[in-house]
Amino acid sequence: MHEVSIALSLLNIAERHCKKQGYQGIESIAVKIGKASGIMPEALLFAFDAVKHGTLAEKAYLTIEEIPVSGYCHRCMKSFSVDEPFVLCCPNCGNMSFRLDSGRELDIVELDVF
Amino acid sequence: MCRSVNESMVKNALMYDNKDILRRRESPERRLHRVKIKVVSRILEANDRIASDNRKKFNEADVFVVNLMSAPGAGKTSLIEKTIKALRNSLRIGVIEGDIAGTDDAQRIEVLGIPVIQINTGSACHLDANMINEVIDDLPIKDLDLLIVENVGNLVCPAEFKIGENMKCMILSVAEGDDKPLKYPLMFQESSALILNKIDLLPYIDADIEKIKRDSLSLNPSLKIFEVSCKTGEGLAPWTEWLQKVVHK
Repeated sequence: MHEVSIALSLLNIAERHCKKQGYQGIESIAVKIGKASGIMPEALLFAFDAVKHGTLAEKAYLTIEEIPVSGYCHRCMKSFSVDEPFVLCCPNCGNMSFRLDSGRELDIVELDVF
Repeated sequence: MCRSVNESMVKNALMYDNKDILRRRESPERRLHRVKIKVVSRILEANDRIASDNRKKFNEADVFVVNLMSAPGAGKTSLIEKTIKALRNSLRIGVIEGDIAGTDDAQRIEVLGIPVIQINTGSACHLDANMINEVIDDLPIKDLDLLIVENVGNLVCPAEFKIGENMKCMILSVAEGDDKPLKYPLMFQESSALILNKIDLLPYIDADIEKIKRDSLSLNPSLKIFEVSCKTGEGLAPWTEWLQKVVHK
């Protein structure tokens, strides 16, 4: 949900960094989206293309690295990683008390500017 | 279902802007000046920064802030009314109401003589830090011990947005179904307390309240659960006593 407001925040951050360092435009933006972040990459791409017009990222494309969901189980004390966009229980022992280590990222990593 | 996104997503993005990229590659000036800037920042940094500012103001005013969330109609406003009636002699309470439209909820609090602000989001399905930031100065927070923020009715989004609160509490009415904790895990995981409301309806519905409690505690072992009926008053004392203790700590 909220891919449009995420795309707007993303553009805002990218433009700020581009201007601060004295560049004229953005060629690409690399982001990391966790699989459990609630953000759908396809929807973010669509939203980004819709909101970038008239900004320094007018011609930019987005590259998205999807971060898998991983965590640590408090009962069997093992780390785990899953394919689903959520974790309800430890895939090793079934316990529902665990720590999520990755998968909820919504990060901007780097820009290609000119 | 979840496929590897890197290559296909990058390819799609490139194909979409193919013509533009080809033009850029042909332009020698662009090739010379292309530079990478490392950013490494959370996209939601703006919201979180404002949430921290809010929290600082609340701490300076020594007011404890509760972010109250639930699906529409679970009983947020009713719980706030009952909480005010029980605690108003020992705590100075203020309320921020969040709704897409209308002032019904704020009016219900106003007649109790409690300072209240109504935020209308217009279309947003949750309150965010900026919305709270814009009304902080309209409330006498230095004269309050407890500020309850009633979020927009929604079991999904409010849990994702910090607003500067000390604690998140959520309400589930037993009539919503005993499958809700596992269907909406984040809100249950983020909350410190779960108020199970409308227990007066238990004889008339099929909900298994033990399953609700079991699943909720599995998601969040430190969750405090209160079984209440705002309508009959049953079970409210343990909730208000606990809240009072937490605020005073």
